[in-house]
Amino acid sequence: MLNLIRNLYQSRTLLMTLAWKNVALRYKQSFLGIFWALLKPLCLMVIFSIVRSFVGIKSGDIPYSVLVFTALMPWMFFQESTSEGVVSVTGNTALIRKVYFPREIFPVIAVGTKIIGLGLNLMIVLLLMAWHHIPLGLQALWVPVLVLYVSLASLSVAFFGAALNVYYRDVAQALPIALSLLMYLSPILYPLHLVKEKLLVQEIAGPFSEWYYRLYSVNPLVGTIDAFQKVLLHNEPPDFASMLPSAFVLLVLFPLSYAYFKRAERYFSDVI
Amino acid sequence: MAMIEVSHLTKEFNLGALTSVRRSLANAARRLTGRTVEKRPPFKALNDVSFSVERGEVIGIIGHNGAGKSTLLKILSGISEPTGGSVKVKGRIAPLIEVGAGFVPDFTGRENVYLNGAILGMSRAEIDRKFEEIVDFSEIGQFIDTPVKRYSSGMQVKLAFAVATAVESEILIVDEVLAVGDVAFQRKCLDRMENLINSEGRTVLIVGHGIRQLERICSRMILLRHGQIVVDGEPGAVSKLFLDETTLKKAEGALTEGPQNLVPFIDSKVIEVTSLEVVGDRKLMDATVCPLMSDLHIKLTINALHPVRNAEIQVGLHSPEMVFMTKSSTLTLPEPVNLEPGLNHIGLVIEKLAFCPGTYGVGVTVFDWARNQIWSGHKLRWVLVESTTEQAAKLPTGTLAYLPSHWDLERSEAS
Repeated sequence: MLNLIRNLYQSRTLLMTLAWKNVALRYKQSFLGIFWALLKPLCLMVIFSIVRSFVGIKSGDIPYSVLVFTALMPWMFFQESTSEGVVSVTGNTALIRKVYFPREIFPVIAVGTKIIGLGLNLMIVLLLMAWHHIPLGLQALWVPVLVLYVSLASLSVAFFGAALNVYYRDVAQALPIALSLLMYLSPILYPLHLVKEKLLVQEIAGPFSEWYYRLYSVNPLVGTIDAFQKVLLHNEPPDFASMLPSAFVLLVLFPLSYAYFKRAERYFSDVI
Repeated sequence: MAMIEVSHLTKEFNLGALTSVRRSLANAARRLTGRTVEKRPPFKALNDVSFSVERGEVIGIIGHNGAGKSTLLKILSGISEPTGGSVKVKGRIAPLIEVGAGFVPDFTGRENVYLNGAILGMSRAEIDRKFEEIVDFSEIGQFIDTPVKRYSSGMQVKLAFAVATAVESEILIVDEVLAVGDVAFQRKCLDRMENLINSEGRTVLIVGHGIRQLERICSRMILLRHGQIVVDGEPGAVSKLFLDETTLKKAEGALTEGPQNLVPFIDSKVIEVTSLEVVGDRKLMDATVCPLMSDLHIKLTINALHPVRNAEIQVGLHSPEMVFMTKSSTLTLPEPVNLEPGLNHIGLVIEKLAFCPGTYGVGVTVFDWARNQIWSGHKLRWVLVESTTEQAAKLPTGTLAYLPSHWDLERSEAS
């Protein structure tokens, strides 16, 4: 872990330059530029709002569109950063075969640069909140911590996936499928309190309901999405109980994923 | 204290290292059930290589394709991990990355300088400081703010070279980079390399095929063959051995130009060269041995299918890299040469062959009266110039030829 931070600090010039290259390159020669990052969640918000008008999902006192958009903000970040993170090493073949520098730079940049899109989406959330007269409270100070938390989750996937993708390109193919499944396993379309109500209050799965709920919240996005909605829209502190299972998993997964990446890194230039 | 210490370095590759998921799973299953795993024989790209490099040395690493040169450089610069043995490097290594490897076509020259500089490990301040110098050297000038994709390939190369040599590192690694750009720029690159080496006392490792160029700037050369060091020593001796090997390697079928068949690359079917003989008592593989400073006799038979009036015949000797050392022409004869239908026998003596010991090819070109080439071929025969041990001990190396010369040494009392 310290190794990671030290390596990143030592190659900070390169890190910043490559990050700038990543961002600049994506939007060079595109008219809408960075606003493409907003278009995707906006579209999904519209689709979900239409779907919701058929099935009826209770959103409490917060307008459904705001609720969905707030949920989509961390989700889009996770989805985009992992998809790009996984192909970040194989996408830089030329560099990997010619120069040595700590390879973790690639996944870190892939994840890090997506924070810009997240920031833009946060602006939209704030605008929506202002439009609907939802006050912003002090609890919003949790946002940076939550962003860091999702980033760690993204990095855990990105490190492991990027390294494995060097050997088996199947990973990059499988990821979009896994992500689209995960989207429905995350409280985006529906708010978390509906799940809680079904499993913890009504206990629809009988005595195992509580375990099912824990299993459900192993997904790091479950707790974070809910937390984003709580701190921004309700001015309430995050629900740590729903984040605990994923926190445990991340605590183990992240160092493992990084260790695997560093081990595989030595043979990148031979197999890539 | 050595700057680079390489000991017993070995690198193995599994041929076709990319395995499918299916085979990996099958192998994993075999391993679990205790059966033997399907193994492919590893390929040794480097096999027990040891050497050390002192500060300020300029080492040329030569060898045929696949001898392990690039693998060695990759391991030295940390890109690739050795299978066995160890590498100790003291100080910062700047890899001279291949042309355009770090370039982003959509970025301007300026942006690419910063990007490439960062990739090569320069800090922002360092690049700022060197920026003017880089642009000056690369001759890019006003195009520095144009996207690199609009550059000619030569401009890209120049910029890449300029950035790479601006890195302040103790050790510089150069891979096949000298053979780029136009002749004028190559010259400039060589000068820059020599400056770097001489004035700043950097340690340099160069890999390449331009043996003569390498011989000129290296203080030591290492010849690799099949992943092993064949010789490690003084540049002249090593490059001679390499060039001999290049010629003699034909026996293994590496050179496609068969020496025994007289295949021209220009043939207007007016004449044909039916035989070409280099007279000598001894042959080494396909090359006729000619002792240094002795006369070389060449016999040529031309079958003229049509009469060629006022023809010119040129016979020359060239190095394996196609640099002609000498050419002789029949135009110097008082009488014009007429090739009559039938076999024409021509003899030539090149007196006191004073070439640096090594292998030379024979080239023949025939012109018609209008000086159009009607037959031309290179590498038709091989001549091996050989020195006696006595000569070898006295003759300086690092030259192509030894022209007859006379010394005049006098003493006078200091006043």
